[in-house]
Amino acid sequence: MHTYLLKRLLLIFPTLFGVAVVTFLLIRIIPGDVVELRYSGDRGAVSQQLLDQERARIGLDKPVWRQFATWIWGVARLDFGQSMWTGAPIWQEIKLRFALSLQVAVMATIVAVLLAIPLGVLAALKQDTWIDYAVRVFSIAGLAMPSFWLGIVLILMLLIVFQWLPPMVYTPFWVSPWQNLAQLIWPALAVGYRYSAVATRMTRSAMLEVLREDYIRTARAKGLMQKLVLSRHALKNAMLPVLTVVAIEFAFLIGGLVVTEQVFNLNGIGLLFVQAVAHRDYTLLQALVMLVAGAFILVNFLMDVAYAWLDPRIRYR
Amino acid sequence: MRRWRGPFIALLILALALPAWAQEKPRSGGELVFVVPSEPPSYDAHQEETFGVIHPMAPHYSTLLRVDPFDKTGTKPVGDLAESWTISKDGLVYTFKIRRDVKFHDGSELTSKDVKASYDKILSPPAGVKSLRASAYGSVKAVDTPDAHTVRFMLKWPESSLLLNLASPWNWIYKADILAKDPHWYEKNVMGTGPFKFVEHVRGSHWVGKKNPDYWDKGKPYLDSYRAIFISNSAAQVAAVRGERAMIQFRSFSPPERDSLVQALGPKIAVQESPWDCLNFVSMHHEKKPFDDKRVRRALSLALDRYEGSKALSRITLVKDVAGIIVPGTPYATPPQELEKLAGYGRDINVNRAEAKRLLKEAGVPEGFAFTFKNRGIPHPYEPLGIWLIDQWRQIGLNVKQEILEASAYHPMLKRGDFEVAMDFQCGFIVEPDLDLGRFPSTSDANYGKHKDTVIDDLYVRQARATDTEERKRILRTLEKRLLDDEAHVVYTLQWHRIIPHNSRVKGWTITPSHYLNNQLDTVWLTE
Repeated sequence: MHTYLLKRLLLIFPTLFGVAVVTFLLIRIIPGDVVELRYSGDRGAVSQQLLDQERARIGLDKPVWRQFATWIWGVARLDFGQSMWTGAPIWQEIKLRFALSLQVAVMATIVAVLLAIPLGVLAALKQDTWIDYAVRVFSIAGLAMPSFWLGIVLILMLLIVFQWLPPMVYTPFWVSPWQNLAQLIWPALAVGYRYSAVATRMTRSAMLEVLREDYIRTARAKGLMQKLVLSRHALKNAMLPVLTVVAIEFAFLIGGLVVTEQVFNLNGIGLLFVQAVAHRDYTLLQALVMLVAGAFILVNFLMDVAYAWLDPRIRYR
Repeated sequence: MRRWRGPFIALLILALALPAWAQEKPRSGGELVFVVPSEPPSYDAHQEETFGVIHPMAPHYSTLLRVDPFDKTGTKPVGDLAESWTISKDGLVYTFKIRRDVKFHDGSELTSKDVKASYDKILSPPAGVKSLRASAYGSVKAVDTPDAHTVRFMLKWPESSLLLNLASPWNWIYKADILAKDPHWYEKNVMGTGPFKFVEHVRGSHWVGKKNPDYWDKGKPYLDSYRAIFISNSAAQVAAVRGERAMIQFRSFSPPERDSLVQALGPKIAVQESPWDCLNFVSMHHEKKPFDDKRVRRALSLALDRYEGSKALSRITLVKDVAGIIVPGTPYATPPQELEKLAGYGRDINVNRAEAKRLLKEAGVPEGFAFTFKNRGIPHPYEPLGIWLIDQWRQIGLNVKQEILEASAYHPMLKRGDFEVAMDFQCGFIVEPDLDLGRFPSTSDANYGKHKDTVIDDLYVRQARATDTEERKRILRTLEKRLLDDEAHVVYTLQWHRIIPHNSRVKGWTITPSHYLNNQLDTVWLTE
């Protein structure tokens, strides 16, 4: 087990290096650069000499391999450099937004889990009844509706029905819990609903599979109460695939709420991603991709550990 | 009874008039919350191009002159740090008297040394420091300070645009001592003499300023503070105003956005509109056939039904007025009767299009001639304008394919000259012919169509140096005729139209043709 975990840990480094290489090269394929965009504003008449000077200042005049070597050496020392657009240190740019994105991800996960597990279990227990059909409609609607669209509907509803709009500026929870929740509950609901739809489907099918297992029949034959059979034997085992889905969705939410963050004007990692692409802010974009890749790798690793803990049959060599 | 009637009526009128009068009297207090669709990359306006710097940051700074905040044309310079000025008879020396009671936000006194240091940085920046508008001051030989409260600008030749150039909203006055120690300091720090002091900037979120109690203009600013919220998504901007989370956005909304706000908020919203000192024009590559032929270029202009186009497009996007080379309603604008004499500006579109077809035929351009029109992928107003242009050109027998480019690919395309016909643009920060026409001399970096016209070059210099307003107007009309008609180097579309719907509590702010102007907020106040 320990050897396996150590191997998994060591594999993180070549994976991240691969991500770094691909990201570095891919974003340079997109036409234009940060200098062109920054100085082609409304007048659009900045001299070529000034553009060249600026490129030299931020190192874009150097050969690509050299730019990569400089950057990767910084990454190895956990120094992601400075944003090419603002000149601010990358960690500062990310730190500002990370708390918000993390909170939305956590809240959306809570919403999703609170909806998905009871609904999924209920649908499995009442298979092919009207309850099952209703849960299916609810979850398939969630899968079909993009969360940003649901976000727009929520905003319009709040505006038209209640003449109220969530706050536009992020207030940390410890400064004002009310302000904080008033802003973040709506995106959490919009995202959490779609997220719950995936998890509900997974919970239902996992439960159906587990409920047909021999050990469930045995538990029932022993005269165990239905409640105990479900919670102690069925649910725990059915949770393995659900946990995977929830964890991967969670990692995705850290940087994946691109449009939803725009709709709710949330100053999160997703919006920062969009701005970094729009500005061709290579250093920031590279750091963000590394962050999301890191989040996925970490979640995967933790999942592997959790699998072993949840299911004693699983033993890694 | 009758003898009381007169005073009673007078009292009644006074009583009725009082609330209105009281309402228009500026009131102190409150926080102005506004939306900014862009964000400052750095804090140094001397080296930035985006209004994202001006809107949240201008309230922290003063300029030597400013554009009168109540002048709708945005062309009248008034003193900001300068309390008065004189111009020598030969127009070569401008002397400014600097106010004595101006303090920086750190409490130190502002003197002429600070003005000179700031202009030295703008005119001839030290190595490694950028100044984007240095070329606009080519006529300035030197800046000197005869005493602590006098600044002189010595010119190589008379320049009619100098005063307005010194009212540039970009030319913030910085502290000389700080610049001497570190010319990059202002890229990451804020410290000026403006009506508001800096409080905080949370990147991607907001910018806050609070009232400067030591502002030189006693009694101002009226607001206690302001908060600029950065919102890039236009639907979210509209929602912010509609949900009264923000009171105003100082750039512009589109006509449908304006209409939705008016419909939703009724009397709670006020709308100010103005011709905008921005314009899309069509550049035709003069080194590519058949656009090297002025008959073809003129035909492209003659095909456009600008008056009908204005009616249709002004309902859906940010364009409206049919205009010449200068923003309508401003001192050097083309009078409508003169405008109608230019190719493509006549009222009878059938006559214009018949002439266009004749010119194409004469130039040997066959019916159905195909070319590619390169446009920028921005919804307002590039895309609707592009569709309109294609339709207009189709009506003289041309077959146009549109290619839309994303912003970062669009500018390099123009610079490389990798186009036959492309959408081009001009956006000024003050309505001043020198600034608005600076891209048309042959030697300009932004002459993307690569025309070579020494007559235009000469006319541009002559209008810039003409000190008599009427003479300058005459030269400008000649330049306009050559640029848009005789040689048709470019094809002007429609003037942009600026639309600012704002919460009706916001008072003391006047729209101008430039979204870079009138952002110091010292005159702005809020009703109860």
